[in-house]
Amino acid sequence: MNQYTLSSGHRNVLLGAIGIGVICMILTWMGDDQFHTRFWTNFLHNSVFFTMISLMAAFFIAACITAYAGWHTTFKRVWEAYASFLVVGLVLMVILALGVYMHWHHLYHWADDAGVASDPILSGKASFLNKNWYMGGTLVFVGAWAFFAHKFRTLSNEEDKEFDSTFKIHKSMRVYAAIFLPIVGFTSAAMIWQWIMSIDAHWYSTLFAWYATASAFVSMIALTILLIIYLKANGYFNEVTENHIHDLGKYLFAISVFWTYLWFSQFMLIWYANIGEETIYFRERYDNYPILFFGNLVINFLVPFFVLMRNDTKRKFGSVSLVAVIVLLGHWVDYFLMIKPGALITRNEALAHGHGAEAGHAAGDAAHGGEHAAAHVSTFVDGFTFPGLLELGTFIGFLGLFLYVGLTVLSKSALVPKNDPYLEESMHHHVI
Amino acid sequence: MANNKQTDVIFGLYNDEEDLLRAVKAAKNDHLDIYDVYSPFPVHGLDPLLELEESRLHQAGFIYGAIGTLTAFLGMSWIFTKDWPNIFGGKPYWSVPAFIPITFEMTVLFSAIGMTVTFYIINGLGPGVVNTYLDDRITDDKFCIAFDKSAVSAERAESFFKSTGASEVNSKTI
Repeated sequence: MNQYTLSSGHRNVLLGAIGIGVICMILTWMGDDQFHTRFWTNFLHNSVFFTMISLMAAFFIAACITAYAGWHTTFKRVWEAYASFLVVGLVLMVILALGVYMHWHHLYHWADDAGVASDPILSGKASFLNKNWYMGGTLVFVGAWAFFAHKFRTLSNEEDKEFDSTFKIHKSMRVYAAIFLPIVGFTSAAMIWQWIMSIDAHWYSTLFAWYATASAFVSMIALTILLIIYLKANGYFNEVTENHIHDLGKYLFAISVFWTYLWFSQFMLIWYANIGEETIYFRERYDNYPILFFGNLVINFLVPFFVLMRNDTKRKFGSVSLVAVIVLLGHWVDYFLMIKPGALITRNEALAHGHGAEAGHAAGDAAHGGEHAAAHVSTFVDGFTFPGLLELGTFIGFLGLFLYVGLTVLSKSALVPKNDPYLEESMHHHVI
Repeated sequence: MANNKQTDVIFGLYNDEEDLLRAVKAAKNDHLDIYDVYSPFPVHGLDPLLELEESRLHQAGFIYGAIGTLTAFLGMSWIFTKDWPNIFGGKPYWSVPAFIPITFEMTVLFSAIGMTVTFYIINGLGPGVVNTYLDDRITDDKFCIAFDKSAVSAERAESFFKSTGASEVNSKTI
């Protein structure tokens, strides 16, 4: 079977998941504080997470084409399908950007004009951290990502129609891929600073964009492994063997280690250079989120490192899919940990000082940030200090949406591409 | 294989690794006991054909790495708390984050050197060791199958080499 069809049963499961997500988001909205912070943080968390996953799929297609790689060709349609979610991601992120304009949410401290004016750090960053940059960056950059993802997919589908011994289409894909790579490199960093890092508006880390991107990359590989195994279990993808899964397992292992390297280095550089005021980001998480902070490292480093170290665990579908599920949840929690603590502080400031007086946050300033933050988050706050059921439900909803879009796109073209110059190589791919 | 006993071998040289793979398959079908196969580079698919068991070198590598981790971490912990405590940049004596990069590097170093040395010992290689080999060209562009003459008769081997397209057949005692 070279043509995937989304059976109505599976479609209903995905629609059910989306339904769960919608119900959970409504429940979150109803039980929320006056700024609906929990709702908006969940919305931001999942939107960014899945947008970045689909960006990483587009990035990896481009990277493989540029590297003259052929191992992935049999299942490259999966990545093309994942990358098509970027259009939905654009809509989701524009809703958040509109929220900045309309003051629907109070996620970003820098969005408060009065607060920025009285805060030297924030007014120094105001040329980048402002609503126009947020909206413009989202529109232009995510729009560009979506355009390139669309281009890769349409060119690849066009290639299916007719065999061309000069491989003209593949060559033009190579040009698009080479243009796309530097664009991803710079713009993904800028948007992560805008979307996530600016929640902790006083803090910055030059490694942060890489850190968040590596996290999304691992999740993308995990989702790819899971979808391929699901498709194989349903009788598709006989051309994709345990050799391809082995290579994907290596990526899952390698990028997990890379993520750990960044996780540690981000702290290490600040700590070793004695930049005390920048340790606030870690102080906050270390003091108030110890289980998530260290659990993050166990789930996303120790589990894949020790389970996937051997050859055979990367080749057996059971062990590799188990690790993929754990790591996917782990990196979702990682994003949770990037977003929620800062948003909780901003919310508490806003609640304490009333609307439009978030400037109080600045009074605490970075030097005393540790005690300042601790005073606000010394107790358990459901949905902020730990993901609750509503967070999980929202995640299931977004995952359902992501897979619904992905599988619908996947069913529109042949599963295994027909005239790709690397197809033969990929069919005979053996790693041991 | 390092072996003190002298072995009379008859061997055929092939020009191409595809020929070699076909010949190995033919030898298996004919139930000929192959003494060894030599190639200037790893030939894909040869190991499963020869039914070689998977190398355990990587397990040794893991153990060497673990020894490196412990050596570095415990060593630095002892040096900077008991043996020669120093204050660096106002940090505590036992500054774990500062130990992590060195621990990592020592892990890599120990497993790399340990695996190299183990590989040399297992294969009887090393500086000053003189190894006998069947033909100079199997380190360059020839692929070789060798039979032990006590297991496979010379006539049988010769007809096998002829039928599988070997470019040369020679004998040697190693």
